Amino acid sequence: MKEKLRSLWQKLFGDSMRAFGVVSLVFLASMAIAPAKNFFSEWRHYQHGYLSMIRNRSEANTLRRHFQGGIQQIWLPDLGVVDRCTSCHVGLKEPTLTDVAQQPYRKHPVIPHNLDQFGCTVCHRGQGAATTVAEAHSSTLAWEQPILPAKFVESSCGQCHRGSLPGTPQLNLGRNLLSRSGCVHCHAVKLPDGSTVKATDDPPSLSHIGDKTTRQWIYAWLKDPQAYAVTATMPNFKLSDADARDISAFLIANSAPVAGDSVTLSAKPSNDPTAGASLYGESFCASCHAVQNAAGNVVGGDVGPELTRIGSKVKPEWLQAWVRNPRVYDPPTGMPHYRFNDAQVATLTGFLLAKTDSDLLANVHLDAATPEQIAHGKRLVSDYGCASCHEIAGIKKPENFAPELSRIGSKPITQLIFLQGMQHTLPDYIAGKIKQPRAFAPGLKMPQYTFTPAQIDALTTALLSLNDRSYSLPPSLAVSAPPESDYQPAGKAGKLMTDLACFSCHRINGHGGDMAPDLTWEGSSVQREWLVQFFRNPGTLRPALIRRMPKFNLTDGEINELTDYIMTVYQSPSVDRDSMPVSGYAQGQIELGKQLYYGKYSCQGCHIVDTKTDKGYIGPTLTHVGSRLTAAWIYQWMKNPEALRPGTIEPNRAMSDEDARALTAFLISQKGGGQQEAAKK
Amino acid sequence: MAKTVDQYFDDLQQTRVWRSIFRSGTGSSTLKRALAIQQNVFLHLFSTKVRTRMLSFSATWYLGTLTLGTFLILVATGIPLMLYYHPSVPQAYADTKDLQFVVSSGMFLRNLHRWSAHAMVFLVFAHMFKVFYRGAYRTPREFNWVIGVVLLLITLLLSYTGYLLPWDQLAYWAITVGSNIASAVPLVGEKIHFLLLGGNAVNANALLRFYVLHCMILPLAAIFFVAIHFWRIRKDGGLYSHASEPATLRAASKDAAAATEAQ
Amino acid sequence: MTDSKDFIAGVDSNAKKSPRRIVFITRRTSAQVKAETEDQLQTFPEVLLRAAVAIMTLAVVLIWIALLFNAPLEGLADPSHTPNPAKAPWYFLGLQELLHYFPPVVAGVLIPGLVVMALIVIPYFKVNIEAEGLFQKDREKRLQIFYSVAGGLSLFLLLFKSRLYNAVLGIKGEAEPLYAALVPTLIISGLMILASKSSPQSPSPFRRYLAGRPLSFWVMTWFLFELVVLTAIGTFFRGPGWAWVWPWQGS
Repeated sequence: MKEKLRSLWQKLFGDSMRAFGVVSLVFLASMAIAPAKNFFSEWRHYQHGYLSMIRNRSEANTLRRHFQGGIQQIWLPDLGVVDRCTSCHVGLKEPTLTDVAQQPYRKHPVIPHNLDQFGCTVCHRGQGAATTVAEAHSSTLAWEQPILPAKFVESSCGQCHRGSLPGTPQLNLGRNLLSRSGCVHCHAVKLPDGSTVKATDDPPSLSHIGDKTTRQWIYAWLKDPQAYAVTATMPNFKLSDADARDISAFLIANSAPVAGDSVTLSAKPSNDPTAGASLYGESFCASCHAVQNAAGNVVGGDVGPELTRIGSKVKPEWLQAWVRNPRVYDPPTGMPHYRFNDAQVATLTGFLLAKTDSDLLANVHLDAATPEQIAHGKRLVSDYGCASCHEIAGIKKPENFAPELSRIGSKPITQLIFLQGMQHTLPDYIAGKIKQPRAFAPGLKMPQYTFTPAQIDALTTALLSLNDRSYSLPPSLAVSAPPESDYQPAGKAGKLMTDLACFSCHRINGHGGDMAPDLTWEGSSVQREWLVQFFRNPGTLRPALIRRMPKFNLTDGEINELTDYIMTVYQSPSVDRDSMPVSGYAQGQIELGKQLYYGKYSCQGCHIVDTKTDKGYIGPTLTHVGSRLTAAWIYQWMKNPEALRPGTIEPNRAMSDEDARALTAFLISQKGGGQQEAAKK
Repeated sequence: MAKTVDQYFDDLQQTRVWRSIFRSGTGSSTLKRALAIQQNVFLHLFSTKVRTRMLSFSATWYLGTLTLGTFLILVATGIPLMLYYHPSVPQAYADTKDLQFVVSSGMFLRNLHRWSAHAMVFLVFAHMFKVFYRGAYRTPREFNWVIGVVLLLITLLLSYTGYLLPWDQLAYWAITVGSNIASAVPLVGEKIHFLLLGGNAVNANALLRFYVLHCMILPLAAIFFVAIHFWRIRKDGGLYSHASEPATLRAASKDAAAATEAQ
Repeated sequence: MTDSKDFIAGVDSNAKKSPRRIVFITRRTSAQVKAETEDQLQTFPEVLLRAAVAIMTLAVVLIWIALLFNAPLEGLADPSHTPNPAKAPWYFLGLQELLHYFPPVVAGVLIPGLVVMALIVIPYFKVNIEAEGLFQKDREKRLQIFYSVAGGLSLFLLLFKSRLYNAVLGIKGEAEPLYAALVPTLIISGLMILASKSSPQSPSPFRRYLAGRPLSFWVMTWFLFELVVLTAIGTFFRGPGWAWVWPWQGS
């Protein structure tokens, strides 16, 4: 054996010439093999796979004609996109390949954008330049941002679309949570257009908290806000007993009384649950306030605080003063000033005070506060940044209390510290931080929220949309949100509207809530008499809604003031209220309109004109529309609803002038009389 | 049919054109072979003869030759790489990505260039230590050793300047760390740092500067000094052989002296 | 090989007194003087073929490495995100390791400058030409010098930036003793002590070898050892914040 090897060695390398020859051959062979590295690249493999996949399909010829071999790329210099994804994802644009189970060949789902204009990585992240599976999809040394998990993909829409989109419910929810949950009180979030995300929650001022509640309640609340109200926005700071004791001591000691915060009534708070419940219902308190029912479900609106255990919280005198006129205690509050009389105040207060929970304060025993405790409490209030959210007399709102999140969606993974067993990706990190903020390091101050998994995903989505790309994209791509103005109505009527907190629910000139209709052009759209009646006794226009405008017990003078103001000021430039009469249309035209209503346009699918036959519950009921709306408004609305109310779900049916006029004639004839006649019969 | 390949080759070498290019002529006589070395502009740097002993692997481990080999590979791969590369920010990085993902065999070229560069630095160090431990730096080879030290520095600079060119994080921070050392030189440190980078930080100017150094100035300097290095081997008496080691001579003379005294 | 001397320099070199003198040989023996009778090979083609074989073998090895292992490429250079640790190319990691201990002027300028100077000076440095075992001559004096130098160096490396050092100088912060540089020093010193206790006639070939090593050998070996150890530490054992990490603990 050894001999054989030796002779072989001699044969191959015996003298220099032989060795040279042999090594040259090996060298040349190696050089010849080198291009193989290129030949066996992954994209070639996938293109071969595609060709053999389409061979068995009926439309094989078409597909083969569309197929282009070699590396494909979408190059968009403006967006910084060089995406070679289509080298392997060959069938992205083939409409017939929706049924292909085998990736990377399936057609891309329908989206509002053209792939050739946006590429792939703008939405999906990953490394567009790469032509290997691992490099393109995963997080590598060369590319930190892996493919975005599909459940967060809506975040990419948010890079350009600053407002809410119908197709991105998760992103919309996340953005809503971001401003509603108080995140932005501590974390600054700047948007690429220079604006900042504003908080929409309204944390109460604590400067006068001693008027409102007791130290015992504050203690219990600080220990666990959700024990008092499951929907509480305030997160749990996981305070120790001593810290909660000292903070409550400080807050009470720091509180200054407000004049008028205790009223004596002519009537005593009554314990009549029936009268209280009916007043609570009539006043539509539940439109804003929720109550947890016996089954544990929270029922009611989320504009104001939950009232399940309100009786364990507030002092009776304060509650009376608040119900009578909330603006005494908290001038900018979103709660309307109902004009309740003393008896009503007494009834409602009694009803609310009965909502107690004996367990809440059962174990709270606090001794009188010492000056040391108060001083320590003050320090804690500064340390935990309480003043970031709450106004507290003597404590300044801290600046930059928590890290800015304006570009959190591009945070380099190398700068993150992950928990044990956590996937090393940015979405996992963000979600983990929201889920258990204190777990990441000792001494962290971020409190514990009680988000559901879906809410955490939504918030993560919203945060991921705050990234470098949203800054680097061409500004022309940005679709800004409808601007939030700080519109304030003027004059006496303006004061009245503020007092009634109209803007808590209604939006006017870009300012206000979205619970109730936008009133910007209300003056053009409704008839004066109807508006006056509505203020006296508001009814609902939409049978599917339980929420309704509450009755504010306005005086006639106030109603006139408001009505005049609305009719004069809130007019649309495109609708001339007086250009069309509200009655006197020819019967033929009305009949034609009726045919169009039930025939050509099938309006009964969404609306009700005849309560016996129509079943449309999507749009407002139109039985009384003739006494509510102006004819000019109806006509313009028929022509182009979007122009009068952007974002309305009413479709634009592209009506001819004649059809629109006929329908207007038909609708304006619906003055509620038909119903009465039917009732008579 | 009688003619072999060798004979055809001989015939070719007799032609006028061949003779006008290669003057040494045919034949395998010592003279012709010596002329083949002497009359070639590249080969004339080498001795016409080398001690048989010095060709054994253990004598030199062929480290110098291998270093030359890596240099040749680096030139051969470096030139095609230059065709795909723009020394600008951030295009340099995109070009590197293209080499990696799109250019035919671009990945292979880059790999070969990079690994050869590492191999060259390693081989240069190994060559230096081997030469030292063999004592091959001794008179009259002192100056060739100094040239060797210069070539070591040039090699390090070549590798260092090339390190920045991909313009990735690895490159950027390696160069930042390295160039900051230059600032530590007393008095003129900041000036050297500025001169090296063409600015106060590693940026587009530094990239361009390093590119020119890497592809023009340093390779030319290396070729220049390598030529002297080889030429000096011949001029300094060929590859160093142990027989001329002074210690041996002295030991021999001592023995002789002892013998004389004993007489 | 005829190593019997053909020429002995006469101390009495007056030309008038001894006209027979042909050549004067100093202790600085020049290589050219020695007549050579060794076997030689023609460079063309023998040496060139061998060089070609060597270079092509290397090329084949490198080609296969290039086919199998991809060169690293990280993310786009970003001046605002410093990787931790930011490492220089591997051949500078020995230096970077030193920078961790010494101020930049020392580690970045003085030490490399001295190394380069030393390398240049080597062939002009008389001690090397002697090429004689370090402790063969002047044993006592040289041992004294060796013990003081090696002892001083080891003590310095042992104490520098140690807890004691920090305490004495009132420096706050972590102690970062230079043990990495100390270990090679101790090993080389140990070998040198062994060499001093060995004679060229020792029966053990290893001790014979050690006994015959000159000073330059020891200095260079120490340098090589330090270079390898520091570079290896910088390459494999340094993690975020230049803290010690075992290679298998990599993130």
